[in-house]
Amino acid sequence: MLQRIAVAALLSVAFPAFAQNVPAAYPADYAQTITAARKEGKVVIYSALDTKAAQPLIKDFTALYPDIKVEYNDMNSTEMYNRFIAESASGQAGADVMWSSAMDLQVKLVDEGHAMSYASPEAPKLPQWAVYKNQAYGTTYEPAVFIYNKRLVSGNDVPQDHAAFARVLNGETDKFKGKVTTYDIEKSGVGFMFVVQDTKYFPGMKDLEKGFGAANYKVYSSTGNMLEKVSSGEHVLGYNILGSYALVRAKKDPNLGVVLPKDYTLVLSRVLFIGKNAKNPNAAKLWTDYILSTRGQKLIGSDVELFAIRNDVDAEYTAASLNKQLGNNVKPIPVSSEIVAYLDPKKRLDFLNAWKAALAAK
Amino acid sequence: MATIAKPTLEVAAPRPAAAFVGSLPRALTIALTAFAVLAPLSLIVYQSLLSAPFFDAAKRVGLDAYAFIFADPDFWSAVRNSLLIAAGMTLIAVPLGAVLAFVMERTDFPGKRWIEPMLLVPSFVSPMVLSFGYIVAAGPVGFFSIWATDLFGGAPWGLYSIAAMAVIAGLTHVPNVYIYASSALKNLGSDVEEAARIAGASPFRVAVSVSLPLIMPALLFSAVLVFFLGLELFGLPLVLGDPEGHLVLSTYLYKLTNKLGTPSYHLMAAVAVCIVAMTVPLVLLQRRLLQNVRKYATIKGKAGRLRELPLGRWKWVAVVLIGAWLFVSVIVPMTGIALRAFVTNWGFGVKLAEAFTLDNFHSVFEEPTHVRAIWNTVLIGTVGGALTVACYTAIGFATHRRNDGWSRVVDYLVLVPRAVPGLLIGLAFLWVFLFFAPLAPLRQTIFSVWLAYTVVWLAYGMRLISSSLMQVSTELEEAARTVGASRGRISREITLPLIRHGLLGSWLLVFMIFEREYSTGVYLLAPGTEVIGAQLVSLWQGGAIDVVAALSLINVVLVFIGLALALRFGVKLRD
Repeated sequence: MLQRIAVAALLSVAFPAFAQNVPAAYPADYAQTITAARKEGKVVIYSALDTKAAQPLIKDFTALYPDIKVEYNDMNSTEMYNRFIAESASGQAGADVMWSSAMDLQVKLVDEGHAMSYASPEAPKLPQWAVYKNQAYGTTYEPAVFIYNKRLVSGNDVPQDHAAFARVLNGETDKFKGKVTTYDIEKSGVGFMFVVQDTKYFPGMKDLEKGFGAANYKVYSSTGNMLEKVSSGEHVLGYNILGSYALVRAKKDPNLGVVLPKDYTLVLSRVLFIGKNAKNPNAAKLWTDYILSTRGQKLIGSDVELFAIRNDVDAEYTAASLNKQLGNNVKPIPVSSEIVAYLDPKKRLDFLNAWKAALAAK
Repeated sequence: MATIAKPTLEVAAPRPAAAFVGSLPRALTIALTAFAVLAPLSLIVYQSLLSAPFFDAAKRVGLDAYAFIFADPDFWSAVRNSLLIAAGMTLIAVPLGAVLAFVMERTDFPGKRWIEPMLLVPSFVSPMVLSFGYIVAAGPVGFFSIWATDLFGGAPWGLYSIAAMAVIAGLTHVPNVYIYASSALKNLGSDVEEAARIAGASPFRVAVSVSLPLIMPALLFSAVLVFFLGLELFGLPLVLGDPEGHLVLSTYLYKLTNKLGTPSYHLMAAVAVCIVAMTVPLVLLQRRLLQNVRKYATIKGKAGRLRELPLGRWKWVAVVLIGAWLFVSVIVPMTGIALRAFVTNWGFGVKLAEAFTLDNFHSVFEEPTHVRAIWNTVLIGTVGGALTVACYTAIGFATHRRNDGWSRVVDYLVLVPRAVPGLLIGLAFLWVFLFFAPLAPLRQTIFSVWLAYTVVWLAYGMRLISSSLMQVSTELEEAARTVGASRGRISREITLPLIRHGLLGSWLLVFMIFEREYSTGVYLLAPGTEVIGAQLVSLWQGGAIDVVAALSLINVVLVFIGLALALRFGVKLRD
């Protein structure tokens, strides 16, 4: 044993590049990237996923590359954006990797030239819509779901698709008055993005909005708050909730039920890119490839409890399992310029005003 | 109308050179204070006049931001709600806090030592967590509400109205008034009260007509501060106002972060400038009321012994009053949080015994960042708090007994930062650390968080110190001066020892306030400098409410231990 360690140590001193195995099918010069990354010694990540949830990834990455320290900063997606643009304007880039569920803000940063071009060797394994300009990558496959309180709602009152949600609200308005919840689309970027997609796929959106208004729906900016309130019974139905968080909680919480809408299920993908002025660009590349690799994706689909985006991994939560359940009705939000359209203030305000008007409709 | 320094103070005019050396520390203190306050604030004002982030090349100068918010009906409803809540909570917190301080400091109320730490609880729990505790305990499906429904067929209260928010904010800000009033009362000789007592006044009459008027400066300061805090209130309306869509100024500002998709700094800054503008008349009013502070000086050369006032049958009134307040503002939310920390789920139809778990605590201690956050939070409260009090004391001496223009500038300077919502002032500090080169290397250290906290809470600690300073009568300082002591020596050897209670109280206050601060540090955090408050914000957003509850409970328990220790120490000093 000792001998083997000694040999390994000797080898790593003599041939640092070979101490780390280059994964199969990676370009030959990848060894140089690894060597350079080890010299950098750390990678700084800004992420909207909290540290606790990301811990398995951090541990596994460190096991793979023991010389590279992961400095993981969790903050909400707006803080990430604010910090990132201020830091780059002052010339003190803080983040090597930006990893956030605010897909639109991420794409906007890429469009404004804040990302480094990097063709990850893992990219061909991703769906095409998840690769943007070889700069940004979709890494997860998180459905938007309905949630309900199992003790208080049952049978036909549990909507299985969008039309049923609208029907329940408009048909049994009194029963659900003040008991339905969703994101405040003025405060939550993710919530806004979901309803924009809804208007694309669901022709009865106006009815649903009217139903929200009639049932005096309650809006929040925090997913946790909504899960808590539906679980406790203060509210009983939740719309467009980020499924990755909801399913994790539902596993431990007997009150909480989760429905993947049958007509179509929106899917959000956490977008990752490397900062253009990253101080540790090579380590950032390793992190990116790791997250997209089978090894990283497997963890994402199991311990991290998000959904793996790759079709070729086997885990509890994967795109493959979701697609199998729902067939062609999974509608991923593409990592593309399309989603940035509503960051135009005028367009966004118009949408918000139309939404408010529809809520008030009789 | 400015009062000019009394000629008696100027015994001999120092030579010009000596005067320069003597005034150097003062000038330096004022300059540093001005920089620390004005750097972030001027960035905010400048930002409010632009059309894009100030570091963006595409920015234009103009008043568009103001035009936008003034045309937005949400803004006006937020202004109205903020004023209502701030006024309501001031009206509740100040009288209650004053009476509480009188009872605790001046009377033979039973079990004071045990009750005092309890009184401070609401002020060191992050309001976000406190409000969440209220929801678990007394929300629509909270356990108190379910009991009430079983007993009376309905809960006669609601949590989500403006009135409820004002009441909760008022009750939970009582400690802020209490700590000012009690520290002022500590420095008050009891001879006048005894005189009133002998003349036949009831304890209530003594409080209202004798003791409380004597500590008017402290009460006025705390009233203005509580009102400021009311304008800045964020966590409470975020959690309790959300469901009904009630906006206040800070939650309106928060909403502007995302309303246009990308953060609209110019709009946020414009709202902040409006809030600051609202505080100006308040400060002017306060200064007017306190023009002649000398009449409140009560520590004189011949000190009266402190004697406790017997409450007699008023004892029961006091017991009921304090008991009721403790129940509503401490026991209800704390049981809510404690309960939530030990269960997986709760609410309608849940048997709590079946939901019991210790996992929430395991997840806190398994996570190195949480453990680090706990240590850092304790550190920034104790060591950081002590440093902060030292800074505040320096500023206090720089303005003490100097009724010149500079003192007035400082008086206003220290008040303003707290009027700006924490999230935005934190962001402004990030800008300062990024764009002001000499400070840049310190950005990723805990110093940045400490500086931001210290500036934001200037008003708090400073006022406590200056109201103690005011109670030191000039005759003691004059006596020292006539025997030839320099200003510095008088400060060190006469004034400083006399205000030690004030400094201790101030340290305690700063400690508590730093423990619970949650929004200011958000933008300044880096690995290794995590604090619990900011951690809670990000956990709350993501959905890990189990961990939020467990971490808050740990926070409360830790601080409670620290507080009890400090108070024991304080009690010793009181003799």
